[in-house]
Amino acid sequence: MSIKDLNRSLWVFHVNTGSCNGCDIEIVAALTPRYDAERFGVKLVGTPRHADVLLVTGPVTKDMKDKLKRVYDQTPDPKVVMSIGNCGNSGGCFYESYNIDGPIDKVVPVDVYVAGCPPRPEAIIDGVVKAWKKLEDLEAKK
Amino acid sequence: MITMQKELFRQLFKRAFTNQFPAKHAPKSVNALLEAVGKGKAKLNPPVPVPENFRGKIAYDKNKCIGCQLCVKVCPANAVVFKPKEKKISYHTFRCTFCGECVNVCPVKCLTFTDEFLLADYKKD
Ligand code: SF4
Ligand code: SF4
Ligand code: SF4
Repeated sequence: MSIKDLNRSLWVFHVNTGSCNGCDIEIVAALTPRYDAERFGVKLVGTPRHADVLLVTGPVTKDMKDKLKRVYDQTPDPKVVMSIGNCGNSGGCFYESYNIDGPIDKVVPVDVYVAGCPPRPEAIIDGVVKAWKKLEDLEAKK
Repeated sequence: MITMQKELFRQLFKRAFTNQFPAKHAPKSVNALLEAVGKGKAKLNPPVPVPENFRGKIAYDKNKCIGCQLCVKVCPANAVVFKPKEKKISYHTFRCTFCGECVNVCPVKCLTFTDEFLLADYKKD
């Protein structure tokens, strides 16, 4: 499996693991005509089985831990996991909560972290570009 | 009908509303594009300008800081950590919620917001 299998258009699946919805709205904003991430072939799909990239938001509540793992396993390889928003990166404002099992990288391996609370749509696009670069670097090393 | 045609005709010559950050289309190779940008051969489209008083990444002026720890106390996300030896703080971008409490409370104004917001990275801190 290689980046060539991705065929230059990354399809993304969005998992909300208990976020406040701020980041989710920014992800959708990145797909609106103003930012139009779809011109890069980035498309939001309805099932992880069609996805190349997992966009994970939220601090991973106890309930969502198992589901996040399952979604991760359902995503075909090669896949990229992006953690969007600081509550997913480190817990953010929920960092001491009794009800979280996060941050995300404790549950599934994360490739790109996007900081912000919420990050602007461009910051998310910037994250996708970095993910793309990582895939190319991995390909070049082979 | 005529109104519609007029509108359609007008739209034909309007500039696209889309902000084409960072490039118009996906390049064949991101690495090649970034290399060209580094050499000044290509240019990336800038993001949409940030509004006034934008809360971006926080800048910390270490020399001005008096080590009062007020910022540590007000931070809701534990993003500011006190270093007792140096009597200074360290700030973690990947924990911050960009609420502005620390910027407001700092008595010597050594914490300030910058306009920087493209903060994606492969590892945190
Ligand atoms: S990072 Fe901030 S805006 Fe995004 S989901 Fe978490 S709390 Fe909400
Ligand atoms: S902006 Fe808010 S969350 Fe960020 S360091 Fe300051 S007080 Fe903490
Ligand atoms: S509030 Fe300002 S002066 Fe006090 S420790 Fe924080 S950064 Fe330093």
